[in-house]
Amino acid sequence: MHKTWIVTFETYLRQIKSWSFLFMILGPFLMIGLTVGISYVSANSASSSREVAVISDSQPLRQAFIKQNDGLNTKITTVKAAKQALKKDHLAGYLVLSTDNQQFKADYHGSDSMGSSLRAQTQNFLVTYQQAANYQQANLTAKQRKTLARTPALTQHIAKKTGTANTAKKVSFWLLVTMIYIILITYSSIAAQEIASEKGTKIMEIIFSSTTATSYFIGKIMGILLVILTQIVVYLLGGWAGYQFAINNAKLKPLFTEYHSLINAVIHNLLNTNLVYLLLGVVIYTVLSAYSGAIVAKAEDASKAAQPVVMLSMLGFFLTFPFQSNLDAVFVKIMSYVPFFSSYFMPMRIINGTASGLEQGLSLAILLAAIGLFAWYIGSQYQRLMLQTDSKSIWQQWLHGWRHQD
Amino acid sequence: MLSIQHISKHFGTVHALNDVSFDVPDGQILGLIGQNGAGKSTTFHSILNFITYEGTITWQGHSLSANDFDTIGYLPEERSLMPKLTIEQQVVYLARLKGQPAKETRAHIDEWLQRFAVKGTRKSRIKDLSKGNQQKVQLICTLIHHPKLLILDEPFSGLDPVNADLLKQAVLTARDEGAAIIFSSHDMEHVTALCDQLVMLRKGDVVLHGTLAEVRNQFGKTELYVTTDWTPDRLQALPGVVAVTVRQPRQYLLQLNDPAAGPAIFEALTEGHYIEEFSQQPPTLDEIFRLKVGEDHA
Repeated sequence: MHKTWIVTFETYLRQIKSWSFLFMILGPFLMIGLTVGISYVSANSASSSREVAVISDSQPLRQAFIKQNDGLNTKITTVKAAKQALKKDHLAGYLVLSTDNQQFKADYHGSDSMGSSLRAQTQNFLVTYQQAANYQQANLTAKQRKTLARTPALTQHIAKKTGTANTAKKVSFWLLVTMIYIILITYSSIAAQEIASEKGTKIMEIIFSSTTATSYFIGKIMGILLVILTQIVVYLLGGWAGYQFAINNAKLKPLFTEYHSLINAVIHNLLNTNLVYLLLGVVIYTVLSAYSGAIVAKAEDASKAAQPVVMLSMLGFFLTFPFQSNLDAVFVKIMSYVPFFSSYFMPMRIINGTASGLEQGLSLAILLAAIGLFAWYIGSQYQRLMLQTDSKSIWQQWLHGWRHQD
Repeated sequence: MLSIQHISKHFGTVHALNDVSFDVPDGQILGLIGQNGAGKSTTFHSILNFITYEGTITWQGHSLSANDFDTIGYLPEERSLMPKLTIEQQVVYLARLKGQPAKETRAHIDEWLQRFAVKGTRKSRIKDLSKGNQQKVQLICTLIHHPKLLILDEPFSGLDPVNADLLKQAVLTARDEGAAIIFSSHDMEHVTALCDQLVMLRKGDVVLHGTLAEVRNQFGKTELYVTTDWTPDRLQALPGVVAVTVRQPRQYLLQLNDPAAGPAIFEALTEGHYIEEFSQQPPTLDEIFRLKVGEDHA
């Protein structure tokens, strides 16, 4: 076991010290940071030119409008100053509020048409003020005013809990299968290439004179799994840090408050048995990738080694699509027990609450047994495969493995 | 002691090894010689359990198992290290797999680099070293944990005479520390200089086995070294002489068809007078090797 750990840590350190791993880990953070940064700079540089100034001879009217609307330029108070600012492209436009013969008017001057939101707000503002002025001019009684002020009502009645739950299921499903798929695709290649690059090299002879092939193979697999775990932990920490930032950010906080129950439901769906399926799925595909890497004809074929595993993973991923709304299909039930596919299908059933605890346990037991048997078989073949330097095809190697044990 | 008893190995219809037997006692060196494809590497792979075989191989009286890995030092025929690692990382990793703690290995790396005159420091990357220096680092990886069984497949291949002497010295040191050593080589000079016994394989069969003296004496004293004023033609005409080779002006090597022809030739050459050199010896290992290879081609 001691030597297995030596191989594990050597594999782990070699992977995480590489530039490719660093870029892979930091890539999403860099992309998000870059997008946010560019948006922020762009928003700041454009903010002054998107503002609209409000000008009026009536200061109470102007102040009332400014009070009801955000994002307005409050510094410019004259038409002359507004025209100059517009000319220099420091304003999107200016709005002149006035009254003429008891009629409220708003004149917009700008390089482009008024934004729909500001136009609606301006319209509402004018209607409210005009209505008040009309009532006053018409000398209506309080009862008459109340009657005229009556408006029709439109109310939506949505079962919020059910709606959120359905959305949470969809979001959870897509997040989970996409996560499984991306991790499997990425690490299938890494695992296969890690193994294939050593194929037929004499360093393997030195290593097999130092430790057993099974011990070495398990060490390699564990090393790669540690790398995967590192990436998952980094992303979880990154996600947590992002979440903390978002809920403490004044602009994002309302959004998170509004979708609080949805976010909680998604997190719950991800951090349960599904996480076990994610990890075990990664294990079985990594073992298969390692085998795939070991049966290539030579180290130069390392890049091709992962192809069969990638294809299998893609098949599992795409097979789930037609059954998202038909979870009671027999096919879904069967596939949720079949190793390599259960990592996609059983989480789908768990998220939708159509798999009992017994069914989940049985599926996990089958998956664990398959991993054990598979690792044992490959471990027994590993030395022969890795020391082999002939140019047999993958199928010939595989058949040879079943026929001969030397 | 490493004991190999009646091992055979077939690859399909090819007999790679056929009833091979020999022992390598502790503190002794055995040279395994033979042409390419004779079965030398297959023998090593059998010892290391890389392949299955018929027969018995024991180390210190028991079958070689994973528990014995730490006592083995193995140098494969082709050199191969991890190019991105530094010398220290590479040596420490392989030594740890041999059960030697990293701390102990690090403490001795500089000493080993100095002993093998490696041009580079412990922080130098393997890929930046010359081929010869990479080979020396690989030798260090093989020896640094003081193995009790040393298996060297063509260890002198690619080494210049100076570095070959450094390796010879390291092998002799390991022998003096009590290691059982088996190595293959095409260079009979190294085998002659190092081996306590040798085994020659030909197409998987043992064709020669014994100490150097035993092997040479099997062929009789058919080599006659003389220094004389006689001409080659005159020497060739002597009874029992089958070939004459000029070593230096006036110095010849006569091949005899019968060792018993020596005294008569001595009489003829001296004719009662002084002779500078007259030495009758068995053939050298190199000549025996060529002879045995020649039998195969005949």
